[in-house]
Amino acid sequence: MRENTSKTLRGIRSSRVLKAIAFAVAGFALLTPKYSVGADSAPRVVLNTSKAGPRAMESQTETVLLRDYKFAWANLEQALESNSTAPINGLFVGTANAWLTNAVTTQRSSGIRSRYLNQNHKVEAVFYAPEGDLIELHDTADYDLQILDGDKTIHDEHVIVHYVVLMNPGSDRWVIRQIQAVPQF
Amino acid sequence: MSSSINTACTTRKSRIGSEQWCRVLQADVRGDVRQSVRRRGALAFAICAVFLAGMLYAQDTDLRAPSAAVAGTPASIGTTGGGSATFYLVGPSIAIERAVQLGQDIPLTAKELESAGKYIAIVCAGNCRSVGFFVAPAKPVSLAFLVHPSRAPVGESNVVSGVALPFDEFHNLVLTPTSVDFQLTAAGAAPVSHRASTQNGAAWFRTSSGRSAGNLQITASINGVSTRRVVQQVASDPCRLQIKGQRNAKGFVVETEPVRDCTGNPVPDGTIVTFTARDAQGTDTVDAPVKKGIARAQMEGTGPVTISAASGVVMGNELHLGAQ
Repeated sequence: MRENTSKTLRGIRSSRVLKAIAFAVAGFALLTPKYSVGADSAPRVVLNTSKAGPRAMESQTETVLLRDYKFAWANLEQALESNSTAPINGLFVGTANAWLTNAVTTQRSSGIRSRYLNQNHKVEAVFYAPEGDLIELHDTADYDLQILDGDKTIHDEHVIVHYVVLMNPGSDRWVIRQIQAVPQF
Repeated sequence: MSSSINTACTTRKSRIGSEQWCRVLQADVRGDVRQSVRRRGALAFAICAVFLAGMLYAQDTDLRAPSAAVAGTPASIGTTGGGSATFYLVGPSIAIERAVQLGQDIPLTAKELESAGKYIAIVCAGNCRSVGFFVAPAKPVSLAFLVHPSRAPVGESNVVSGVALPFDEFHNLVLTPTSVDFQLTAAGAAPVSHRASTQNGAAWFRTSSGRSAGNLQITASINGVSTRRVVQQVASDPCRLQIKGQRNAKGFVVETEPVRDCTGNPVPDGTIVTFTARDAQGTDTVDAPVKKGIARAQMEGTGPVTISAASGVVMGNELHLGAQ
């Protein structure tokens, strides 16, 4: 009698364990795609060029600009999180390059890191020079800004920031020359 | 706990056989337990009190951001509370950390606020409090002035354009609308002025080139600051070609009259003129560059010949030379 009872109990336990494993596997399978999307930290950028002027923007220029702006923010994020100036060098020139390099070096010396997570950028081209050698963008960006001292998070905030951005055409890409946050446009 | 008392009581009872002693022991143990519970309660209360006091103390720390900070101008962050804390300032081109005393203003130097943009000030004493503020650009002291093209043919409409962007001494783009004066000066023509207000930090103009070849000086000025650029206005395409020729010992030589554009400017040296000679033998072609306004070519042939010239889209007169 006792043996039968213990066998039944073992059976119930093992079926519960199996159910739990099955639920865990199903849950993992269901959550994995969502996690992958969440882990994809590439900035999301939407570009509107309908108000650009006085020069109208060519569709190929728009495509390249979008690609390079998105890539620039990914590099900025990487530079300020890893405190490395290497990611800045490709797409930031002039003042933007100097500022970011300074930000990275002072962060490094202070033991601070910044993380720009879940970036969304609504970008509007507001000025495109007559000869096509300058574009001004207005970027309404929202992201989770985390500032860390070592491993301690000292600031964690979801922010909406307005950026005025000047870009120039380089040899094979558009580069950021100026990036300046403003209270509003 | 009660089970252990009962076990001890039962053990002692069996050893000395006294119910009374057992009651005494149980009472003593209960008393100890109560005392222990009281002590633990007091300790927990003390820990909670310290924690709450800490929280209240930390929450007392309040930060006041500078109301209208300007690039390159010292400012301060107001704090409340007391005790020491760690202060962080994270801005567009800076990240600093230093120890501060709460209850006193935290001074920010001009150097720390050179870049316009958003700053975050954080103070950590136990937990962290933060405040964000913006630094505005200072007065414009320089103009970035882009002018195109560097060489422009005369008499073309809307061929010259310029964009001016004002910057302060710390390379911040000045976004407040400001009037920019563009002045265009060319030799032999009255200066032309054009005023434009910056919109989103940029002012621009577009204009036609003049009628005379030579330098076109373009100056952009803002609040006493000016930047100059030069566009070289060059002759446009040749307008008409007139050729002449004569026989010589080698055959015949042809040359143009001075080649000019439609407004009378001599075309630049190096402009190519193509001479074509047709005779009974066939067609012969020579490309000759303009030198000092004239293109010249030596061609061979003894029979009657018809010569024409072309440059760009312009054709000259036909010239007929008889047999030698």
